[in-house]
Amino acid sequence: MIRLTIDGQEIEVREGTMIADAAARLGIDIPVYCYHEALGPLGACRMCLVQVEKMPKLATACTTAVAEGMVVHTTGPQVDKGRKGVLEFLLINHPLDCPVCDKGGECFLQDYTFRYGPPQGRFQEPKIQKVKDGPISDLILIDQERCVLCQRCVRFMDEYVGEPELLLEGRGVETVVTTVEGRPAQSQFAGNVIDLCPVGALLAAPYHHKARPWNIEREESVCTLCPVGCTTLTTGRDGRIVRVEGRPVVDRNWGWLCDRGRFGFDFATHPSRLVNSRLHGREEAAARTTREIGQWLREVVAQEGGEAIAVVMGGLHTTEEAHQVYRFATEVLGTRRLVVSRDVPGYVPRGLNGTFEDLSAADAVILVGTDPYESAPVLHLRLRERLKNRRAPLTLMGVAPRNLSRSTLPVETLVTHVGQEADVLAAALKEAAGDHPAVAALLSQGAGIARGIDPTQVSQLSRVLREAERLVVVWDGVEPDVEHVLAALAQARQGQTTRVLPTFGPSNWRGFERAGFDARFDALTRVLEDARDGKIRMLILWGADLLKDYPDRRLVEQAYERVEWLLAEGVFVPEGAEHFDAVVPGAAPGEVYGTYVNMEARLQIASPSVNPPGQARPTKSYLTAWAHALGKPFVVDEEWDPYDDASGDLLPEEPLPQDIEAIRAPDLPEGGVELLVSAQVWANGIPSQILEARLEAAQIARISPLDADALGIREVGVIRVESAEGVLELPVRVDEHLTPGRLLVPLGVGALPVNRLRPGVVKVQRLEEVQTP
Amino acid sequence: MSQTYYLLRHREVPEIGQIAVYRAHGGYEALRKALSQYQPEELVDLVKRSGLRGRGGAGFPTGVKWGFLPKDGRPRYLVVNSDEAEPGTFKDRELIEHNPHQLIEGMIISSYAIRANEAYIYCRGEFLKGYEELSRAVQEAYQAGFLGENILDSGFSLDIFVYRGAGAYICGEESALLESLEGRRGNPRLKPPFPAVAGLYGMPTIVNNVETIANVPPIVTYGAEWYTSMGTEKSPGLKIMSVSGPVNRPGNYEIPLATPLRQLIEDYAGGLKEGRRLKCIIPGGSSVPLLTPDKLDTPLDYESILQAGSMLGSGGCIVLDESVCIVKASHRLVKFYREESCGKCTPCREGTYWMADVLERLEMGLGTQDDLAILTDVADNINGKCFCPLGDASIGFLVSAINHFRDEFEAHVREGRCPLGAKVYDTANY
Ligand SMILES: Cc1cc2nc3c(=O)[nH]c(=O)nc-3n(C[C@H](O)[C@H](O)[C@H](O)COP(=O)(O)O)c2cc1C
Ligand code: SF4
Ligand code: SF4
Ligand code: SF4
Ligand code: FES
Repeated sequence: MIRLTIDGQEIEVREGTMIADAAARLGIDIPVYCYHEALGPLGACRMCLVQVEKMPKLATACTTAVAEGMVVHTTGPQVDKGRKGVLEFLLINHPLDCPVCDKGGECFLQDYTFRYGPPQGRFQEPKIQKVKDGPISDLILIDQERCVLCQRCVRFMDEYVGEPELLLEGRGVETVVTTVEGRPAQSQFAGNVIDLCPVGALLAAPYHHKARPWNIEREESVCTLCPVGCTTLTTGRDGRIVRVEGRPVVDRNWGWLCDRGRFGFDFATHPSRLVNSRLHGREEAAARTTREIGQWLREVVAQEGGEAIAVVMGGLHTTEEAHQVYRFATEVLGTRRLVVSRDVPGYVPRGLNGTFEDLSAADAVILVGTDPYESAPVLHLRLRERLKNRRAPLTLMGVAPRNLSRSTLPVETLVTHVGQEADVLAAALKEAAGDHPAVAALLSQGAGIARGIDPTQVSQLSRVLREAERLVVVWDGVEPDVEHVLAALAQARQGQTTRVLPTFGPSNWRGFERAGFDARFDALTRVLEDARDGKIRMLILWGADLLKDYPDRRLVEQAYERVEWLLAEGVFVPEGAEHFDAVVPGAAPGEVYGTYVNMEARLQIASPSVNPPGQARPTKSYLTAWAHALGKPFVVDEEWDPYDDASGDLLPEEPLPQDIEAIRAPDLPEGGVELLVSAQVWANGIPSQILEARLEAAQIARISPLDADALGIREVGVIRVESAEGVLELPVRVDEHLTPGRLLVPLGVGALPVNRLRPGVVKVQRLEEVQTP
Repeated sequence: MSQTYYLLRHREVPEIGQIAVYRAHGGYEALRKALSQYQPEELVDLVKRSGLRGRGGAGFPTGVKWGFLPKDGRPRYLVVNSDEAEPGTFKDRELIEHNPHQLIEGMIISSYAIRANEAYIYCRGEFLKGYEELSRAVQEAYQAGFLGENILDSGFSLDIFVYRGAGAYICGEESALLESLEGRRGNPRLKPPFPAVAGLYGMPTIVNNVETIANVPPIVTYGAEWYTSMGTEKSPGLKIMSVSGPVNRPGNYEIPLATPLRQLIEDYAGGLKEGRRLKCIIPGGSSVPLLTPDKLDTPLDYESILQAGSMLGSGGCIVLDESVCIVKASHRLVKFYREESCGKCTPCREGTYWMADVLERLEMGLGTQDDLAILTDVADNINGKCFCPLGDASIGFLVSAINHFRDEFEAHVREGRCPLGAKVYDTANY
């Protein structure tokens, strides 16, 4: 530790800390442009000048590391003049755009000039002219004249993300930020540069000229589009959300978002948004619909009791809404058939669930099935940041039916067959700790063969399982047996840390569980089977869309056909609209106050920015109305608090799972193409007009160049996929990175109803080749 | 006047750029001596004892720099800085164009001394002839067995790569040079870490000027004592001075350090041309403050020049006579720095732009009384606040010009024109 004095206050900080960060800890504001803790020091803007005693010149606080006994002054005549000078320099070529600049009012050039700048400028010469409102991409604009050349954007893309799509061109005062050879930036992380830009140089195209800071309020919210649950600021104006920004949380996250979350906010105003009640397939007045449903409920409860009703929770609801539904179902209806909509069968017990801090502290990470770049983008950034920390090396391995390695994140992957992940993990565990009773129990049915996998890779994995002090497993939940391997692994590694981060959805499934719903896939399957078998008369989907999500479409269809009443609440009309007796419009994220639980089992609060549109109502409105119809008292408990005193914003800890279930070695396919599914945020079925082109491009199956060649497809085509369960026609494109022998289909896309088939070997045939321009 | 040549020997020996001629005149004998009689550390020690200081501008003791290399087994590199773009300096150019083997021999010895097996020459892009000569000479050296595997059976191996820059002055700054060499935009890097610790591709790297390395073979041949017998205790040895301006014999002169400035101008360079009177001298390249004629007796060594108010720098001695308008000269120099500012840091990028504009206005007779105060203050806001030394270099001449020739600046405002009749856009004299 190093002791130093800043403005008369003593502080002790770690060796290597920069003066700027030490001052921040004392609450002393040192103005910075180019410095960002995540990017490290650069020293370009010279805004952070301070005076250090015994140094001949002013020092830049962002590049000067603390030293024992150092005495720093962040004000004083010299510092003040230095700052004034830098600000005057920055302003000489800065256009007089403040009145029309989107950042006006939330701009660091304005703020610092106001606080530290000269009262007036002395520059009378002509200003340099550069490009205004030029494109970085379809989503991001650049005004090069406003740029202060802090390089945050360039360095973020180059060093932090590893997708160097921005660069500096020209020299001296002619220097500009631009894209590589003028090509639009494609990275899904590019939008972050808008937040990083300290001035109004990088702008969100959808927000361009939409509002001034005094017209708007920014509300703290959370992105619900994937289980990462990034923290956001949401800007509403005239009843619409017009902007989403990242919201840094000190010591927890930098406030990065992916562009799916940043620009995909317009699903709530999408033309397909459900804003009217529907009764028997036709739009109907809300009051009438509510009355009607009340009647049905009354009838079922009176005739057969509440247990004849099942509720499936899904969609983007808050934990509080889920709790209201839970109470309504148990107290008013009297049913305990409360399950969560699931699109993959895996489950992670709370006792195994890890946090992002675990990830930062991990010395080994194993990706099982999941490619975070596609399933949980900002998690990919976290992994990359962790990997780049040279002081603490990280072993990064993968077990998946495809190679998970990317140029931005090299992953030593054990490429399995579809359905073989658990067995391969078990084989490595056998080698690492075969004698442990938990492992023995796991393997008692003969699993752990790892057929066809390179034994040296299995040994490498087993070494990681044995030796890693802090292991984090990131898992997509596609292969349910992995849960049992992870439980055995955690037991065998008692004394070392073993934590799991689930990347599957729905994004708030753990919140639904917290509210009282059973989030296990089997529970959902039982409900559907009971429905199919006539044991359930009424099925209520709260935000859920089972035809789209549930892996066995046939079972859902049978259940839908058999139940007497099929109701849904949601933001969109669920698939199979013809089956539904009634559909009522619900509120979307950004329209209600509540909490969401992310993949860390962390509760995060979201405040609303706008009201639900049209007839859309928050959950509680429907519940109170129906309770009234049933003649039962139901007061929504506004006081219910999902937080726990002891565990803070994490859900209460639970012990490691004790019972270990034995798993079986899978029957492995011989040859052929294997169908494989994965959750992808760019193809998760939630629409957006802003992102329309990009979403469309992502909603497609993928095959390897090798298989495409065999099929006679160069880039894009349509294929016929056949398995024992049926036949499917799919649009498909070539994916350079995909492992040969695999057909990858995103989950949850209406146009790609992959749940008509089961993952595993399929027969593939080309139907047509689509010529791309 | 007569003079003994060491580094500029090609003036006595025509065709010394050919390896056969170079060898016939004792070339590569220093290499043979170094490899057969010295351990690497002994060579570092020899260079330390010679007191050789870097000739690229900063004058840092070369042996001491070599001693900074961490001994951690990582590969090391030698990089020779041949980017010479400082206005007024043209010594490295002559060395590489006419006597490339001397540099190559120096590089092999230096690489052996610092235990580098790869060495690079970063050659200024505009020096096409120098680049071609170096490339040719490197090939010759390979063929003669002075480069490649197991040089002269010593077990030491070395490869040399010649690289051409793309025309940016800032790439002469060692860390920007390394960025450029790695294929990136030539912006200076944050220091520390210094190149000796983390340089080319993050590896320990020694960057030295052409002239610095060219001094190594004669030091090996004649010994450290020979070197320290010239110059002063702190500034020993030989220095090539480039003299330009209205003198009778402009050109490069190899002098023992501490030779008086007057002798360089009047004897070596033959004094000012007929009818010209000395106005001032920039002794160390465009980046240093000017010296007025009363400082003519200053000895040309690092310490004395500093004491006189300027710097020896890279040894580019620019002579200005009384016909030169000081405002125009300032404008011309500041404009150079405006063009060459890499743009990374605010004060240099914006400040040079601003100062150049104000100076242009002053020279055109459109200046106001405030402009002089603004110039001085802008220079002060640059001074010591930039990321790399280029920023400070941009104001060195200007500030000294305002100090010594304030009248002339004010006359431009007062008279609404250049009293010397110079024109901003008079290209003949640009
Ligand atoms: C703007 C700038 C330009 C420079 N240009 C050169 C150059 O052209 N050649 C050179 O040898 N050193 C140049 N230097 C100095 C180098 O950074 C470095 O100090 C030198 O190459 C070290 O070699 P030496 O120790 O042998 O002098 C320059 C420095 C700055 C700040
Ligand atoms: S565009 Fe913004 S973030 Fe990028 S360099 Fe310019 S000011 Fe900095
Ligand atoms: S990573 Fe997930 S939570 Fe974060 S912004 Fe993207 S979609 Fe939203
Ligand atoms: S002082 Fe700054 S802008 Fe100028 S060359 Fe150095 S780093 Fe670049
Ligand atoms: S913040 Fe320190 S130089 Fe930019």
